[in-house]
Amino acid sequence: MATSAVSSVSLSDRITAGIVALIIGGFLVFGAGLANSATIHDTAHDVRHSFGFPCH
Amino acid sequence: MIVKTLLAALVAGLIAGVFMTGAQELRVIPLILHAEEFEGQEPAADPATPQADHQHSSSFEGGKILDGVLAALSPITPAYAHEGEHEEGGIMFGMSRFSGTLLANLVAGAGFALLLAGISLVANHPVTFANGVYWGACGWLAVHLLPAIGLPPELPGFPAAELQDRQLWWIATILFSGAGLYLLALRPELLAKIAGLVLIALPHIYGAPQPLDISSSVPAVLGAEFAVAALATTLAFWLVLGTVLGFINDRFLKA
Repeated sequence: MATSAVSSVSLSDRITAGIVALIIGGFLVFGAGLANSATIHDTAHDVRHSFGFPCH
Repeated sequence: MIVKTLLAALVAGLIAGVFMTGAQELRVIPLILHAEEFEGQEPAADPATPQADHQHSSSFEGGKILDGVLAALSPITPAYAHEGEHEEGGIMFGMSRFSGTLLANLVAGAGFALLLAGISLVANHPVTFANGVYWGACGWLAVHLLPAIGLPPELPGFPAAELQDRQLWWIATILFSGAGLYLLALRPELLAKIAGLVLIALPHIYGAPQPLDISSSVPAVLGAEFAVAALATTLAFWLVLGTVLGFINDRFLKA
């Protein structure tokens, strides 16, 4: 079924890629949305409000 | 394979981030700027003081002094609060406010795209052009709508509970909602669907951290408009993100 699109890829490759994507993605979202630094906060201020991140 | 998948997500995220920057300018950013005119003012307890004079610089100076007093009483350290904007913080690399917003949107877009791609890989359900819109909708539900039940998108100057408590509740709610949506949408078993609903409901039964004092100088109408505008804008962002990610996956990863 839906899995056929990635069936050519080995299981470990798929999981590795997925976990790498989750770690990098989590890091980026944390940086843009949650990081507790005044400079990052001020740069991303309007974005944090727009995305509904909890902010100051 | 790993590099290609990550690149596909990155490109989709950057495209969605650029789109988001344009979409925010329509409604969300003007509302934030409007609310900042009221931020730091005393809550409108005295009807004799018309809020309409908020643009006069004299009342704004008063607001700044009050800001300092409030900051001293506040449990939130100055780094979180708005005064930091002018003293300790400042926008990175001396960029304009707009460039800072664009940069943050690109980073957030790439981050959310990578998270979506990562979940799709681990769950072994590819994001395609056909189903991308549903992936996007679920991303919006998990990251925005469901957490917004407890912590609605707030304007600058709104009363709020301790930042760390809110961030913790917010992250936990996203994790619970995401897991719940996975069980609900991608698992065929009846039991999994029930468990999914329970997971989605749990953070709301526990309850979001709420401020003790809910008075605010920012007009409630602005807050209502902003909450709807923010949710609508993020919905558009996620639908674009899911669809573009699916398109790129179909086009370049199927080989």
